Amino acid sequence: MAAKTPEQITDDLLRPLEGASGRYWSFLALFAGIAVAALCAFSWQVYAGIGVAGIRRPVFWGFYITNFVFWIGLSHAGTLISAILRLANATWRRPVTRCAEVITVFALSIGATFPIIHLGRPWLAFWLFPYPSERGIWPNIRSPLLWDFFAINTYLLGSVTFLLLPMIPDLALIRDRAIGLRKRIYTIVALGWRGTPKQWHRLESAMQIMAVAVIPVAVSVHSIVSWDFAMAPVPAWHSTIFAPYFVCGAIFSGIAALIIAMALLRKFLGLEDYLLRIHFENLGKLLLVMSLLWFYFVFAERLTVWYGNDPSEMTVFWVTQTGSFSPLFWLMVVCNFVIPFPILAIKKLRTITGCVIASIGVVIGMWLERFLIIVPSLSHKYLPYSFGTYRPTWVEITITAGTFAGMAMLYMIFAKTVPIISIWELKAAPEARSNHAPALAPVPDSGAD
Amino acid sequence: MSHQWGMVIDLDRCTGCEACVVACHAENNISTVGEDQASRGRAKHWIRVERYFEGEFPDVKTKFMPVLCQQCDAAPCEPVCPTFASYHTIEGLNGQVYNRCIGTRYCANACPYSVRFFNWYNPEWDKPLNLQLNPDVSLREVGVMEKCTFCVQRIKAAEIQAEAEKRAVKDGEIQPACVQSCPTRAMVFGDLSDPDSEVSRLAGGNRGMKLLGELGTLPKVTYLQKDSWHGSENA
Amino acid sequence: MQRRDFIKITAAGGAAAALEGCGNPDHHLIRFIPEEDLLPGIATWKPSICTLCPAGCGTQVRVMQGEAEVIRNGQLGILKMGLAKKIEGNPAHPINQGRLCPRGHGELQVTYHPDRIKSPLKRTGERGSGQYKEITWDEAIQQLVSQLSALRAEGAPKAQGRLAFVSAPLRGQRRHIVQHFVYGLDGLPPFEFEFFNGEVIRAANATTFGRSALPTVDLGQSNYVISFGADFLGTWNSPVAQAVGYGQMRKGRPGQRGKFVQVESRISQTGASADEFIACPPGSEGAFALSLAHVILNEKLRPVGAAGRAIAQWATGLPEYAPDKIEKQIGVSAATITRIAREAAANSPSVALIGDAATAHTNGLFNGLAVNALNVLLGSVDRPGGLLFSPGWEPKSERPVLPPGLELARGTDPNETLHYVAGEIISKSDRIKVLLLNGSNPAFASPSAWQIREAFQKVPFIASFGSFIDETSMLADLILPDHSPLESWLDDSPESGSSQTVVSLAPPAMAPLHNTRSMPDVLLDVAQQLGGDLAKALPWKTYDEALKASFTELYKEKGSKNAKDADDFWSKALAQGGWWSADEKPSAPASVKETASPSKYTEPQFDGSANDFPFYFLPFASQMFYDGSLAHLPWMQEAPDPLSSVMWGTWVEINNRTAEKLGLKMGDTLEVASAHGTLQAPALVTPAIAPDVIAMPVGQGHHNFTRYATGRGANPISILAPMTVEGTGSLAWAATRVKISRVGEGKLVMFGASMEETPKDLKHR
Repeated sequence: MAAKTPEQITDDLLRPLEGASGRYWSFLALFAGIAVAALCAFSWQVYAGIGVAGIRRPVFWGFYITNFVFWIGLSHAGTLISAILRLANATWRRPVTRCAEVITVFALSIGATFPIIHLGRPWLAFWLFPYPSERGIWPNIRSPLLWDFFAINTYLLGSVTFLLLPMIPDLALIRDRAIGLRKRIYTIVALGWRGTPKQWHRLESAMQIMAVAVIPVAVSVHSIVSWDFAMAPVPAWHSTIFAPYFVCGAIFSGIAALIIAMALLRKFLGLEDYLLRIHFENLGKLLLVMSLLWFYFVFAERLTVWYGNDPSEMTVFWVTQTGSFSPLFWLMVVCNFVIPFPILAIKKLRTITGCVIASIGVVIGMWLERFLIIVPSLSHKYLPYSFGTYRPTWVEITITAGTFAGMAMLYMIFAKTVPIISIWELKAAPEARSNHAPALAPVPDSGAD
Repeated sequence: MSHQWGMVIDLDRCTGCEACVVACHAENNISTVGEDQASRGRAKHWIRVERYFEGEFPDVKTKFMPVLCQQCDAAPCEPVCPTFASYHTIEGLNGQVYNRCIGTRYCANACPYSVRFFNWYNPEWDKPLNLQLNPDVSLREVGVMEKCTFCVQRIKAAEIQAEAEKRAVKDGEIQPACVQSCPTRAMVFGDLSDPDSEVSRLAGGNRGMKLLGELGTLPKVTYLQKDSWHGSENA
Repeated sequence: MQRRDFIKITAAGGAAAALEGCGNPDHHLIRFIPEEDLLPGIATWKPSICTLCPAGCGTQVRVMQGEAEVIRNGQLGILKMGLAKKIEGNPAHPINQGRLCPRGHGELQVTYHPDRIKSPLKRTGERGSGQYKEITWDEAIQQLVSQLSALRAEGAPKAQGRLAFVSAPLRGQRRHIVQHFVYGLDGLPPFEFEFFNGEVIRAANATTFGRSALPTVDLGQSNYVISFGADFLGTWNSPVAQAVGYGQMRKGRPGQRGKFVQVESRISQTGASADEFIACPPGSEGAFALSLAHVILNEKLRPVGAAGRAIAQWATGLPEYAPDKIEKQIGVSAATITRIAREAAANSPSVALIGDAATAHTNGLFNGLAVNALNVLLGSVDRPGGLLFSPGWEPKSERPVLPPGLELARGTDPNETLHYVAGEIISKSDRIKVLLLNGSNPAFASPSAWQIREAFQKVPFIASFGSFIDETSMLADLILPDHSPLESWLDDSPESGSSQTVVSLAPPAMAPLHNTRSMPDVLLDVAQQLGGDLAKALPWKTYDEALKASFTELYKEKGSKNAKDADDFWSKALAQGGWWSADEKPSAPASVKETASPSKYTEPQFDGSANDFPFYFLPFASQMFYDGSLAHLPWMQEAPDPLSSVMWGTWVEINNRTAEKLGLKMGDTLEVASAHGTLQAPALVTPAIAPDVIAMPVGQGHHNFTRYATGRGANPISILAPMTVEGTGSLAWAATRVKISRVGEGKLVMFGASMEETPKDLKHR
């Protein structure tokens, strides 16, 4: 892999923005179509009543909340990579940061639609917002759903900021190269960036602050999401392990999603020279750590439950270990641990393809994990007469498929409008300078990685 | 001290006949959902009689347990509702304000007794069955959670009447529909804050137990456990 | 101009003006002038009587002002009227004492049912096609009058016995009017048809006690109750009265708690509350009862007395019923039999009940007599805590007298008599010329083998007074719909349920919603038009006139300390829901009659060999639908059955061990076949039934009974064999054997997900 000049870097990374192949449009149309179908399904649900979904007594939450937790969890990719690695000065993060931050913003946005989608009266969702209402009451601050509201919105605000701030220099780059309508649009969004040292200084300070601030926000978000479950006296929900367990699971699924996204970008946008095996290897090692951590949490929780032998908890335990949910449970273990572990632990297998296979497994496994946390417990609460089974309907399946399609669609559009790899950060690789401070200005000639 | 409404259900008297179930439907404008929706778990029986068998024929023991909202003093459904639709009233009831409910269904998940029921569709009555509706109970639209209210409309009516007559509510004057109908008189309703009320007297007896009491919900329904025969073949 | 006319005109004019300006089609409904003066939001309570089962509980109806869409003079409009909103028990009524069973609440839906017949109808298409056109009441009555005139014109003996009146059980003056009417036209005695008609018990009581009546049981003061198959807390006899007593027996007497033993082959809803359940093979209940008697006689625990005069071997101490001789046959150990007998004798007052399947075997009458003998031996007859007979009351004057030549000597059971007549119709088409139907549904509630439907098809003219189209009334040529019970004058003197004399009375709780007419009023009108002796026998213009006359007679006979005169008596009775005596002393203990041929045990006979049909088939009255007549009410369909928790469906109960052996799972579709028919229904796997018995609730399987019941489930009555109870000729509905086979997977809609507290597949320790 030859060293690239800054010009080459800019050219390579802006090339995707210059047009789209027929294959791109076909896929985009496909994903858009599925997303539109999901929109129609939701409209039907609002019109006919939420009864068109499969949720029921006692499984009052099903696919929608699974998706909610899943997508919010997936959004932890950006935080980890960008913020933590930024603070730790890990240089290999540079081509990867924006890919990750974009996942965060879109996943978070998609996840945040589910609290509205799953409502019985979604047209009243705005009552979660604390405004002085004519009904004379404020929202209930004791409710974990309110904590969700604030945490997710805060995180969304933070992530969007975290994404947009470092985008500005690149948008300015495009502005400088563009003509016509494009130039006008990018002039607006570039916010008057001139690349002065003062602006660079401000940018870097802001990035530092955001990096520090967004980590606790991200940790709190998924802890709070986990408390949607842990705060209710439902067997196998009411566990102190939930907050760290969920955060771990979120980061786990986030990294997996990032690996998949990077692999797809690498292939379809011709970024083989930028997204290198070392990136996948490093992320793969992180994924391995998370897989082990995930396994540890699951094992610790299960062991404790089994040892405690509480009748209602044991009912849920057996139903997932050997009963009606066991096929899904063991599939989850295979996807989250049995497949990823050898692939990621053995260096020879830890190739890009290997990492992608492991990641696909993890994404599936983590979706299943959310489902298996929610549904078996709700199906088997305390009074066996009131147990019940859940089966999703086409509405829930379509909307779920729509979110994946929507994510892909948004990502594809983004990749064609903004360079998916942060150009200025890539160019600002600090090999030539001291390890203390990050680069304050782009250096013209060191393109080596 | 305001009233604290509570109930006692004597399982030694209950025969599982379900008069309470139908009486409640009639009193509280609960819509029927039809076979298809019932098969999908959408039937709304604010009070239900749980039936459990134990053993093999002929040594089968049957347990009937009427389960309704326990109006818990430490109700898990109350803190989790983001809009205060589920809240605790001064008189110890768990109130459900239909207008505030946006349908997150968190309360139903949090309730260990599974006594909360959701309106998955707009309720419908084939005309003229709509004429059977009780004008004292509001109808609930799609997306709203509902459950037993201890027939709060009857409680309020009796309190208003008593106040108009400048007297206190008498013990036994208020009877929710289920209590009123029960043929074996297994259910008793009254003011737990009045130590002389029948419900206080019975709740304090030695057969009393709380359903899922170990969860700390502080339910206001006391079940009197089924007794056994203490006689013999000698006179 | 009168004020009322002024209001009418301006209201109509104003409404018309308002309507012009309003484009909403809904508001084009005109508003009729209210006929009642009600305050909105204020409820009044009116007494009524529940008519859904024979118990005759007194109710009170909450009436409030509301707006109903009704048709008046062919025009659809809105009428402000008093509407029944809720039915509760009448606290003053001696039968149910303010309490009510689930079915009683459901009665409200009869009035407001969307498929109620709203006006008189005349058949236009083929019989049974369901094609009718609306006609006026004048036309309808004219048609009926002309048919009956034509019949009468044929003169005796041709006209004799050519009119049949098949009805749901009739009560009080309503029954008298019907009887007068029918006898006045030389018709056959009215058939009061209902599937669970208790005739065997009546026959046993007539033999033992000289009273052909269902017994009243004073459970509230009992200390020991043995029920042989009687579902006395659910559907048998007077369930609410019995449940009130049961509650009292359990926990209503401080320091005392009665014991309750249930003996049957399937744990019924009542059996589920028993302290001790004893499994007893079908048909051996009587033998078991006599074995208990044997122990008591043998151990001299009670004086011998005349208890068993109707039972063979009584005088010699029932040697063949010794526990050790009988234990193998009835599958109950000698030790248990001995213990129960001792317990019953030691814990007075003790009482035994029998009903349902135990009296529906071929030896059902014997079983009934055996239990009667046991009761007399236990000293429970006409004593507190035991059984007695309600005094009852009937007007004595103007009593309908059956004309000679019209008796049908065919056993004592009206159901079976109808079967017999149906057979005659099939063999001789002109046996019956006019058939009048009044709400009963024998085409549904009788075995296909009886061919009731086929017989009715052959009758030239059928008219129906019922409020709904069902399997029987769909054959009618003319429909003259009655009011619903809440819209009717009602009276009743319940056969059982109280030691007091009870004569219930209720005015209509609300005005009629639809263009219906009270059936007794129609008969009175027709009688007047037909004239002659018939008109003389029915001198009243309306039914309430007839009621007032009977109450005047009641006042004269029983007097009243609290009423000034007959009018005052009447008003007071109207206000409280009837008249009942103050505590009466029980009538003198009924003596046990000596009989020429004392009953002895015979093996119960079953249709179908045990090899080909390995299961006993047990239909049972369902708590929600009773005998199927309530399947059209949505509340009853959606209420979970107490034992199975099934909603909107039928099921076949099969023992769990048997199911396992046969590879059957919960919900599998089974084909159940007797020698007389087959049906399909989902399996309900339960521990609460004997391994060689399968049971099905009666009530579903309607193929034409409103939108809620049509095409739903299966009807176990249809495949029953036409076996009879020895001695009464009643249908022995528990005497059929069946075989089962798995058809495939099926669906059961159950409200309860688990039969057990710790579901088997989740037990791991």
